[in-house]
Amino acid sequence: MVGVEAASVAKLYGSKPVLDDVNMTFEAGRLTTLLGPSGSGKTTLLRIIAGLIAPDGGRIRFGTEDVTDAPVWTRNIGMVFQSYALFPHMNVYQNVVFGLNRRGIRGSDAKREVLRALDMVHLSGFERRRPKELSGGQQQRVALARAIVTRPRVLLLDEPLSALDRRLRQSMQVELRQIQRDSGLTTILVTHDQEEALVLSDSVAILDRGRIVQQGRPSEVYERPRTPFAASFLGDANFFAGRVGPDGIETPSGLIRVEERLPALGSTATVAVRPEKMTIGPAGAVQHADNRIEATLQEIVYAGAVSTFILRTADGTEIKVLNQNADAPELSPGTVVEATWSRARTILLQT
Amino acid sequence: MTALARCFLLAVILFLYLPVFVMVAMAFNDSALYTLPLVPTLRWFEALASNEKLLAASRNSLVIAAATSVIATILGTMASLALSRRHFRGRSLLQILLLPPISIPWLITGTAMLVFFFWTGIGRGIHAMMIGHVALAIPYVVLIVGAGMQSVRVDLEEAAMSLGSTPFHAFVSVTLPLLAPSIAAAALFAFAVSLDQFVVSYFLSTPGVSTLPVEIYSSIRQGFTPEINAVSTIFLGASTLLILLFAQLSSLGGHRGRG
Amino acid sequence: MAGDRTGQNPPGRGRQGWATAGLLMPAYGWLTLAVFLPLCAMLFFSVLKTAPVANRPLEVTFDHYLAFVRRPYLFDVAWTSIQLGLWTTGLCAVLGLPAALALARSTYGRSRKVLLLLIILPFWTNGLVRVFSWTMVLREGGILDQAVHLVAPSAPPLTLLYSFPAVIIGLVHAYLPYMVLTCYLALTSVEDAVVEAARSLGARNAVIFWKIILPLSLPGLASGAVLIFVPVIGSFMEPRILGGRIGVTMGTVIEDQFTKAFNWPLGAALSFIMLAVVLVVFGASSRLLSRGKASLGGAAP
Repeated sequence: MVGVEAASVAKLYGSKPVLDDVNMTFEAGRLTTLLGPSGSGKTTLLRIIAGLIAPDGGRIRFGTEDVTDAPVWTRNIGMVFQSYALFPHMNVYQNVVFGLNRRGIRGSDAKREVLRALDMVHLSGFERRRPKELSGGQQQRVALARAIVTRPRVLLLDEPLSALDRRLRQSMQVELRQIQRDSGLTTILVTHDQEEALVLSDSVAILDRGRIVQQGRPSEVYERPRTPFAASFLGDANFFAGRVGPDGIETPSGLIRVEERLPALGSTATVAVRPEKMTIGPAGAVQHADNRIEATLQEIVYAGAVSTFILRTADGTEIKVLNQNADAPELSPGTVVEATWSRARTILLQT
Repeated sequence: MTALARCFLLAVILFLYLPVFVMVAMAFNDSALYTLPLVPTLRWFEALASNEKLLAASRNSLVIAAATSVIATILGTMASLALSRRHFRGRSLLQILLLPPISIPWLITGTAMLVFFFWTGIGRGIHAMMIGHVALAIPYVVLIVGAGMQSVRVDLEEAAMSLGSTPFHAFVSVTLPLLAPSIAAAALFAFAVSLDQFVVSYFLSTPGVSTLPVEIYSSIRQGFTPEINAVSTIFLGASTLLILLFAQLSSLGGHRGRG
Repeated sequence: MAGDRTGQNPPGRGRQGWATAGLLMPAYGWLTLAVFLPLCAMLFFSVLKTAPVANRPLEVTFDHYLAFVRRPYLFDVAWTSIQLGLWTTGLCAVLGLPAALALARSTYGRSRKVLLLLIILPFWTNGLVRVFSWTMVLREGGILDQAVHLVAPSAPPLTLLYSFPAVIIGLVHAYLPYMVLTCYLALTSVEDAVVEAARSLGARNAVIFWKIILPLSLPGLASGAVLIFVPVIGSFMEPRILGGRIGVTMGTVIEDQFTKAFNWPLGAALSFIMLAVVLVVFGASSRLLSRGKASLGGAAP
């Protein structure tokens, strides 16, 4: 099991840089997610690691081996494509055994491996079926079995769940996680779905316009985003901007206290607060709060287990608060309420 | 309104088939002057069996069509592969260059071939006709195989390569099997194009060596024998079978935009 | 600054250029030999005084091109050819568009497939035999004549054969399927949803026809017209067989130069004049088609 390293990878299409000096380490045996909006370069990076595209600069290493100039068919990878790319003229067995045959494994040895892989994806008994007879979820699992049966050095997944409906996607996320853990493969996943990134990853890297914005464990990246982009792409965030004062950040909506060390006095600063970290209540309800902002309740978006409260402050800033529908007080739109949160929950951003 | 439309359509189809019916009817009609009433007979088919000229011409037609089909399919498929998969400068130009053989009136292409072959010593005859037929069939093959290529997704070859296939192996084990119906359809089309080709064959034939259409033409000019109807009926049957096969291999009709 | 490779090809596939050339060379080489070089040769021939034979010296002249202007007889012939083209194209449009409409909008599923097949089949019957069958139908004492006399015995004999209309009938019959097909393809690109949207906005059938369906079928008419007009002005088979003595067209004149008169340079020159006309038609039609597409904007998907 090897790790993957991308060093100073760059790619241009014409004069437009799609990837710009990307440096990343993908830990051996772990699932790392490349997360970003379309056009961020995440799929390009994946395809460069696969060997389907050549980078314009930089090196790719599998372990200690530099594979930058190696053709894709020599890299010993497994790849699941967004469209699954199952061979339509072959049945499930033939699809899965394809890679094994290329490596010289045939006959009963191959059969054993194929059955084992199909069992891993819970598709035992499907060997004779043709791809067009399978549902989307089943096709996806065949594609996965085909990619892992050869025990590749690296498993690459290109938005593998995006074609599935919501319910199926959620159950497949859990299964995918299980399979990755059981097989111990170094896995790189590309997705634009932030929930997927949080559920599946050991490590998340957020990409924006060809650059890595932040990289780390999901909880780390979620709780402590470094830039406004990271804060708003992975999760929701309320932003406040203002000048640094002696006690905190002085913003049009009020004074905001932080736990970390404040930057230079008088400089501008932007902070973010996640909606679920705020508590909403009638004005003046909470006695001691680090941070308190008064606002008018505009709208309540009810979503069963949780509700999102949309507030508007006197200076026109919109605030979203997410609270569980447990024993919350009854609030109605139009009333003046307050949002409170602890100073530890204020995220100081680098802009 | 719909009934009226359908009637019109049937009338048009009847118009299209009128000569065909006449030809088939006359092939079985015992009248050297094509007069009614119809008296069934097989004598024209029997006469055909001993008409050496017609039989030789038919044989030539079939041989040339078969050779054309094979050569044009191979060359056209290769060209189609390069044009569909690889993106390179001059690709559009090359695609446009495929149009002249099929859009310029065959009269011009045929006479041009006659002129050039005479000048360069290639001359006329079966080999000349074959060169001409293949040239006329290649654009059709490229078109048909090209259309088939569109439906073979690029990521299938990428998937094969990610599993360890070299580009060549990916082509042979994935693309080629999926392309087979299109290639077969193109081969059939090339065969039919060659079989029915008259103008180019006319200019490139010599008195002793010609194809069936050319033979029919000179026969018409000189004095038509009803065996022509007989042999044409046979060829009509064969062409019908070919076109039905072609329709099976490439789906026709009922398409709205992309299938 | 990391590496200065401009990796246009994926790793390991640097030799793509050679492979591509190798795939293209055979087909295009064949086309060059059989089509492009011959056309060049013919261009060369068209400016020679006589065909280059053995020891005769080569004289360059534009006489043959000028012959077209000098001899009014050739002008008439050319005009006949163009008339043939216009009549045939016109009749094919008049018959073909309604047929395509009927096919596209009044037939469904299986019957439509069968009808389409029926329309395409005549392509693959031998063109010559079809033309000859028309002689059997149209001539004096032929099928049509006998049929008419069955109904009206005292009617005069039908002398349709060896006349301009006979040639037209033969040509229309040969080329009608082209028009039906191109119009059909254009019409089937009109999505049902577009017509339904128009209906929901209150348009009645006549309006839908004039404002949506007809304009969207114009590309089909245009391409069908080109597919028909071009071969027709070069045809010599149908004019000869169905037109007899009056069946003299550019096509027959050119054919004569190569088979009877052996005046190849003149034939070549006339061919290139016809080719010029063909190119003009193509040029005009492609501009018309692209302008048509632009004016329709987003009307068709």
